[in-house]
Amino acid sequence: MIRTTPGARLAHDIANRGATAWIVSALLFAFYIVLYFTEWLTPVARALHLGSKWTLYGTLYTLAILIGGSFMIRRYGHNRYQVVRTLSVMIVQVLFAYSLPQLLAFLQQPEFYFSYFWPLKLDYLTPGYLFHLPWPFILWSILASFILVPILAIFFGKRWYCSWVCGCGGLANTFGEPWRHLSTKSSAWWRFERVSVYTVLVLCVVLTALLFVSYAVGGTHPQLASFTSQYQIWYGLIVASVLAGVAGVGLYPIAGTRVWCRFFCPMAALLGIIQKAGRYRITVKDDMCISCGLCSKYCEMGIDVRSYAQTNASFTRASCVGCGLCAELCPRGVLRLENAPPRAPQLQLVQIATQR
Amino acid sequence: MRCAIVGNGVAGVTAALGVRERDPRASISLISGEADYFFSRTALMYAFMDRLARRDLEPYERGVFDAQRIERVRGWVRDLDARSGTITLDSGRTLCWDRLLIATGSKPCRPPWQGLESVRSGQVHFVSMQDLEACEAAARRGEKAVVVGGGLIGIELAECLKWAGMEVTFLIREPWYWPVALSDAESAMAIAHMRHHGVNVVTGETVAAVETDARGAVTAVVTEQNRRYACLLLGVCIGVEPAVEWLKSVATPPRLNRGIVVDAGLRTSLVGVFAAGDCAEVELSGRAPVVEQLWYSAKRQGRVAARSMLGAPIEYEPPVFFNSSKLFDIECTAVGRFSATMREFYYRFESRDASLRLAEEGGAVKAFNLLGSRWNHKLLAGWIGERRSLDDVLGRLDEAQFDVEFGRLDLTPARAAFERWRAANPAAGKAQA
Repeated sequence: MIRTTPGARLAHDIANRGATAWIVSALLFAFYIVLYFTEWLTPVARALHLGSKWTLYGTLYTLAILIGGSFMIRRYGHNRYQVVRTLSVMIVQVLFAYSLPQLLAFLQQPEFYFSYFWPLKLDYLTPGYLFHLPWPFILWSILASFILVPILAIFFGKRWYCSWVCGCGGLANTFGEPWRHLSTKSSAWWRFERVSVYTVLVLCVVLTALLFVSYAVGGTHPQLASFTSQYQIWYGLIVASVLAGVAGVGLYPIAGTRVWCRFFCPMAALLGIIQKAGRYRITVKDDMCISCGLCSKYCEMGIDVRSYAQTNASFTRASCVGCGLCAELCPRGVLRLENAPPRAPQLQLVQIATQR
Repeated sequence: MRCAIVGNGVAGVTAALGVRERDPRASISLISGEADYFFSRTALMYAFMDRLARRDLEPYERGVFDAQRIERVRGWVRDLDARSGTITLDSGRTLCWDRLLIATGSKPCRPPWQGLESVRSGQVHFVSMQDLEACEAAARRGEKAVVVGGGLIGIELAECLKWAGMEVTFLIREPWYWPVALSDAESAMAIAHMRHHGVNVVTGETVAAVETDARGAVTAVVTEQNRRYACLLLGVCIGVEPAVEWLKSVATPPRLNRGIVVDAGLRTSLVGVFAAGDCAEVELSGRAPVVEQLWYSAKRQGRVAARSMLGAPIEYEPPVFFNSSKLFDIECTAVGRFSATMREFYYRFESRDASLRLAEEGGAVKAFNLLGSRWNHKLLAGWIGERRSLDDVLGRLDEAQFDVEFGRLDLTPARAAFERWRAANPAAGKAQA
């Protein structure tokens, strides 16, 4: 590789696990540890007239999405899907994940995020939290989790959420863009993903059920109540703080941008199951692939897209968030994201090479 | 059965996997002097431009070859003896085979320029792993580059060298860029696009001589028009030819013409020896022999070769021609073959760098050349096979669009232009009585 200017060398170093990438990763880890486990940022937030450290965090997060999103739109401005999708995550972040909750707080209402749902946001289906909300919020939370989310996923796949709405995905697809290719494509990590992501989903569903049971009969079963509350604390610490925040973002420069989404997010797991049964797919144009590997390299979810493209196999993978970068980067236009009703299956060559 | 395959390009590897798929017991040896693992030659440009690492060029996980019990052998084959069923490598190792597949691909054509014999450095091609390394080394040396050619590899190398920050002159011998694939109007769009990316495109000039310094490093090329283009890197991308010269000095050479002559079963003149991919010249019944030098044809021939080696009565049948390319940002889809006797409808979109060219003969559509948007070539090839009229094809063209969501090319202006074209060409667009 030829990297002539110092700027180009630095960009390569940061984006390819060079020394600067490890420094950035360490800084991100440090930031999240300070944010979650200390109050050091509180005076900073006050000095900036931002109220709490969480408002400061929200402001930084929104700025990261807006700045990263602007670069994304500049870079892929010729691709309307990328422009629309990126604008969507930017607008959702500014309105639903930043302005509206603050407006609600100002109006003395609960600080509610209309862009997050159970099971990603466990609280939103937790009786102890949910039943203290005004009734429209309760109704929205239940309808969204059980009707809106699955129905949209049946018709559009998980992408309507993971790469159009979600804040985690939003940060990955804007600020995190330089690191998307670092996700591992090995089949061993695919096996790990299938165990880890569904494990978290099961833990989340069990916890939610326990919380309802405990809410109903906890008074007469103090052991159950205590176990559930311990479970909730540990789940919150490990899943919501460490895996989603500290490691999820801290590992951007080392392991790519979707570590949380791919290996741990219970929402992604649930949407992935619905996606497999729904209409969304990536259609492969027969015999046109040149096996260059750009699709696989730049898949943030670590899908070996090339293994499908070079064997003429249209496919739906549970993990695919529909960011569309594989289709954008394919130099032969082989891939297309579709949500069409199932067609007669294409003649699919059974290639022994894909058997592992 | 012992299968030896010379060359681990796409033809050789497809054949190796195809043999394993049908014969779990065969022993398979895959021999390459170029690289330890199969890589995608078509992606060399992305490795140069830092979009892919070397390892990313490999289409299969490395474990696949062990899992499929395909022995990889590194070395150049020096001798082939069909009487004893052996090949000998440069290391001296001898391999015995019952079936041998030669899939050695292409090598760059050697240009007839004066001064080439004194070149020691600075001149590169862009088709092999070694070429990639040579290009990277040469690109570090200086600012000025000249790429000579007029095809896809030339424009890919020009894009790479622009990426590396060099001043690139693209010298094209023909009056326009890539005349075998593009019309002059399409070429004009491509050339304007190249110039927009900062490439100095020169058409209609033929290189006559190469100048070097005392150490043999390239310093300039001089054209027949007596113009001199200074350069420290000279990319030679004037086409490729079957890599078969090594077969001329072996104990039992197969019959050679332009390539290794094979029948429709991809059998050479030697018993048990087959050839596939760029190096093969296929004699099909009732047709002129074909040398196909595309990724797609190599993959198809590799598939057929696997079955033929295992004794299946299979014949290679090239489908309706199709190819794809990318000229900087302009994606191109070609389906079918144009000829001078056909009537052509051409439309250049104003909204973006995109165009359509369709040809018809005897009332039936024969060929498509579509630039700047994405198309499903299988559907287009089907319409050629069904002998649909241009009228019909223009009416249903949107079915074959393959652009990204929200990014579809609006075909309305092209249809309006077609109506005008049809009025001016009353004989076209209708089936013959």
